[in-house]
Amino acid sequence: MKIKLELFGASRDFSEKDYLEFNLKEKSSIKDLRQEILNFVDNNFKGNENYKKLVLSSTFCSEKNNIVSDNYEITKQQKIGIIPPIGGG
Amino acid sequence: MLHAEVVDVSKEKIDIAKAQKFIISSKYGASIYFVGTVRDQNNNKKVTGITYDTHDALVIKSFEEIHKEAETKFKFENIAVFIEHVKGYAALGDASIIIAVACKHRTQAYEFSRYIIEEIKKRTPIWKKEHYTDEESVWLKGNPIKTS
Repeated sequence: MKIKLELFGASRDFSEKDYLEFNLKEKSSIKDLRQEILNFVDNNFKGNENYKKLVLSSTFCSEKNNIVSDNYEITKQQKIGIIPPIGGG
Repeated sequence: MLHAEVVDVSKEKIDIAKAQKFIISSKYGASIYFVGTVRDQNNNKKVTGITYDTHDALVIKSFEEIHKEAETKFKFENIAVFIEHVKGYAALGDASIIIAVACKHRTQAYEFSRYIIEEIKKRTPIWKKEHYTDEESVWLKGNPIKTS
């Protein structure tokens, strides 16, 4: 299933667009999505350590605008937001 | 009574007159206006401006939660609260946030306003990219949001 990952803050450096797209297996979780993003960093930014730290310290936001944990199951095609550590305005 | 909004500065500016119009009432004896602005230095670097990025829906949700918590915490009656934060590029001196609070007494207004800004700084999903005179722009490091 296709997941549109909306980028915010420092994660915007991952793409010139404001999103990335990933194909996940059925019954994937946020943990799986995080791993896919880490793989993306490995493949596109030579494993940039700062980017990987950013991914590991980020949380995620569901399509219904709830902050979700690594165990959250992604059961259908949807938008997910990556929420890097926040500056708080 | 709460007004909460994220304002795209490419379309409009945040405006203290709008805040004043929202909170003004003869019911209140005290009004506080907090205005956060872009300053010219941070960490010994000369700042020329800041680009603010926001997750709009989460920001509004966060403002509403903070407002509700403050109401529960302080138990003040009849308070008007106006919160607006910008997204996009803000130059030196531009306002990035306006918090206006009106209530019966000054102590209440100070406490309520202070609580709101401190909580926003801790947990509202807003990101800042600082721009400098002679260095590459950088996203400022922040605090991870906790998941429950």
